[in-house]
Amino acid sequence: MDFTLLMASIGIIIMSLVIIGSATHINTPGEERYYFVQRQGIFTILNIAAAAFFMNFDYKMLQGYGKKLYIFNLVMLLAVMLVGQSALGAQRWISIGPISIQPSEFSKLIMIVCLASVLEERVGKLNTLDDLLPVAAYMGVPFLLVLKQPDLGTSLVFMAIFFGMVFVSGIRLKLLFGIFGAGIAAMPILWHFLKDYQKMRIMVFMDPNVDPLGSGYHIIQSKIAIGSGMLFGKGLFEGTQSQLNFLPENHTDFIFAVVGEELGFIGCVCLLLLYLVVLWRGVQIAKDAGDVFGRLLAVGITSMFAFHILVNVGMTMGIMPVTGIPLPLMSYGVSSLTTNIMAIAILMNIQLRKQKLLF
Amino acid sequence: MTEIDEYGERLKVFGWLAVLVIVVLIARACYLQIYDGETYARLAEGNRIRLIPAMAPRGNFFDRNGELLVVNRPGFTVSLLPLNNPVSDEVVERLSVLLKMPKEDIQQKIDAHVGFDPIRIKTDVMADVYSVIEEQKDKYPGVVIETQPIRDYILNEEGAHTFGYVSEINDVELEKKKDEGYKSGDIIGKFGLEKIYDKELRGADGGEQVEVDVAGKPVRRLGRKEPLPGDDLYLTIDKHIQEAAEKAVDERLRLIHANAAAAVVMNPQTGEVLAMVSRPAFNPNLFARGISVKDWNKLNNNPYHPMDNKTITGEYPPGSTFKIVTGTAALTEGVVSPEEQIFDSGHHWIIPKGNADGEALGWLNFRSAMAHSDNVYFYEMGNRLGIDRLERYARMFGLGAITGIDLPYESDGLVANRKYKEKNFEDGDWYLSETFDAAIGQGFNLVTPLQAAMVMGEIAANGKRFKPHLVNRIVGPDGKIVKEFKPELLSTLDVRPEVIQLVQEGLHEVSTYGTAASIFRGFPVQIAGKTGTAENPHGRDHGWFVAYGPFENPTVVVAVVVEQGGYGAQSAVPIGREILEAAFGIEKPKEDNKAKQAGSN
Repeated sequence: MDFTLLMASIGIIIMSLVIIGSATHINTPGEERYYFVQRQGIFTILNIAAAAFFMNFDYKMLQGYGKKLYIFNLVMLLAVMLVGQSALGAQRWISIGPISIQPSEFSKLIMIVCLASVLEERVGKLNTLDDLLPVAAYMGVPFLLVLKQPDLGTSLVFMAIFFGMVFVSGIRLKLLFGIFGAGIAAMPILWHFLKDYQKMRIMVFMDPNVDPLGSGYHIIQSKIAIGSGMLFGKGLFEGTQSQLNFLPENHTDFIFAVVGEELGFIGCVCLLLLYLVVLWRGVQIAKDAGDVFGRLLAVGITSMFAFHILVNVGMTMGIMPVTGIPLPLMSYGVSSLTTNIMAIAILMNIQLRKQKLLF
Repeated sequence: MTEIDEYGERLKVFGWLAVLVIVVLIARACYLQIYDGETYARLAEGNRIRLIPAMAPRGNFFDRNGELLVVNRPGFTVSLLPLNNPVSDEVVERLSVLLKMPKEDIQQKIDAHVGFDPIRIKTDVMADVYSVIEEQKDKYPGVVIETQPIRDYILNEEGAHTFGYVSEINDVELEKKKDEGYKSGDIIGKFGLEKIYDKELRGADGGEQVEVDVAGKPVRRLGRKEPLPGDDLYLTIDKHIQEAAEKAVDERLRLIHANAAAAVVMNPQTGEVLAMVSRPAFNPNLFARGISVKDWNKLNNNPYHPMDNKTITGEYPPGSTFKIVTGTAALTEGVVSPEEQIFDSGHHWIIPKGNADGEALGWLNFRSAMAHSDNVYFYEMGNRLGIDRLERYARMFGLGAITGIDLPYESDGLVANRKYKEKNFEDGDWYLSETFDAAIGQGFNLVTPLQAAMVMGEIAANGKRFKPHLVNRIVGPDGKIVKEFKPELLSTLDVRPEVIQLVQEGLHEVSTYGTAASIFRGFPVQIAGKTGTAENPHGRDHGWFVAYGPFENPTVVVAVVVEQGGYGAQSAVPIGREILEAAFGIEKPKEDNKAKQAGSN
């Protein structure tokens, strides 16, 4: 068992529950003040139980399910388009009984498994565009479905996962940089396909004053929250920005701002260091993995975490555009929580079974 | 496993990239919290960021010649910026005295408010309130004066029913329109063109982020989004004719001691509405400022319903103006020839119904019967046509259905028919006397003044029915035309041109020797007209007049109804004449009109 990874993850989750409590005004009287913490807590326990059960199985069996998972993923994403509920201008949710699930969250982990099984036999053979194209097309279909929802954030996560995994699979650097070059050249065309609110967010990122009443306001308020936390923070439940509702979405996408305001620079560094441990263990597990599939899985998961952390925390501090992707293991949300705990479980499973091939 | 080791280097690079992510984020947090921490702490502690919305000015209304009809003026609104601490009783009390508002009302507004935008306490306050608050800022912490565009109906009551009015969105409207971007506190069009074209007129609100100090006083502006003004409406209304029509109606109502009337002026060849008057009227400025309970009750309790646009919602028996429909039907169906003479002995030979005053007009043909508005002749036409054919022709003229004008709450009127009687009366059988009544526009028939104008307009335009409309074009704040409204032909009467010509001639004779001749004596433009006196079970008869001119090439059609005005010739016809005078530029006293008159002769 990878105790370092386990402890770091549990540390983040505990911090998450405390901060969600603070952000949802657990200290003010009211009927449902424990709702968010309770819900997140219950699902954490359920997920950890499921993850522990999953430890009994060898992660390698996942490879066999690659194709089935891929089709399941497409069906799920199509279902969102057909029966999904929209929130904030995007269709992302499906309701199953009392729970609404967000398929694009699960979709990330599923795509990591699918990509790992496809890339496994291609490691070292990604030299030309022709070699890469089948893999890109394989990834492209769910990518476009997510983009169509529209969920720009998740589709960018797909790209981060893809590039992280093909990089470690030994793609020729010339090819990789060629793709990046072409991507940059194509940006003006892609701009054209963005929705108005997405364009706005990017423009706001360049200059928050473009939209002082919309997302520009969120960024400014979030920066004020974090900055005003200074070295030690204002203390739990004491953050004026978050307690007075100045911060939007403060228990989901902007949760880092609450950490910054209430726990200060020290709290931020602690949390970021916990993330560093998770990422570093991810890389080590990839290195020590018993097989190529395991190594690619670990790389994909680490890519996913790293990108989420960069974009989410960067957004709250005004160095990344607002894309609405959650902070792993911190943000409130059942779909995201489940996905991330499962991802950690897969990492630990890979670590658990590394020796078997080293006899 | 050799392949894996080959790419171990890649994994190392990958690992360092992950570390870099964390390092960058820690560096940024360090910058925000340690280096710039003081600045942000100041913003977060005593100081705050507030959003102050800047309302977009609504689009202006222009008349067809580019004259301003409805504009905006800057108004002062007293607002409270939401603070961390609850607003002190003292401040509420001071405001209550200053604004002459009950304390509870102010408290209620504060309690009901959520969010960071200012709490609007009172809109459009006088300049003295403004100066008191500005001079004694310390006594009014958190109170700010916002400058907002306030709708200004510069013509006051004139055109009020057409232009409509605006006021704050209510809960029901908000629920319906939330998805279209309407928010609580928005000003929206509630009536008239303001309602129909609200989306185009409203523009997009802007706003600014300001930093305020502990007392809620703005100290620094952080960002601003300019509001985008709404689109302007260029109406089909002619301000000159509108004003003349308003004046003519008011004068006549005063002279004959009547209280309610409506007039519509249109171009029959395009469907453009040139003027619309409804009396009694209201002043839409009352609503723009936030109407007082007293004013509202006064409007609501007025028995003549000043809030109704009688030109489109008032349903009146058409009276003799309906003979246009009956006559057209009789000639088209061939139940009478233009030359056939019918003898009016004072009453009809089957049912003893006659003219209103019981006079007997002797032998009459189609044209003279129309000119004298003889009831016996048209009873006989009804007798020969039967109710079903009468109904068919009435509907062909567009009666019994809304005209589709771009105003809200239009009524559809009623065409007398068997089904209606069956449905609504215990004795559902149809009687000949009811056909008689229908033939002269009494009984079940009901039309709005606009429908009456449309019927006359169809005769004027040789059977063509154009959709009535009030807007020629919508122009964006950049001067670009957003939308243009062209004449829209709705239908054409299925009637031979000779028939229409005969009807036109009969209507022309109304003004030469018929029922409107005395009032149009010496009128320099040849016109066609029809008077009407509609029996009113609730009081004095309603007076009607419909007319068009110039006779050869009609550009103006007018319909006037005076509620309980008695004979059309004494109530509605004089109003019609004054409107036509204005439309043709033949007002008496003014010197400059002589040139126009000479030009038209």
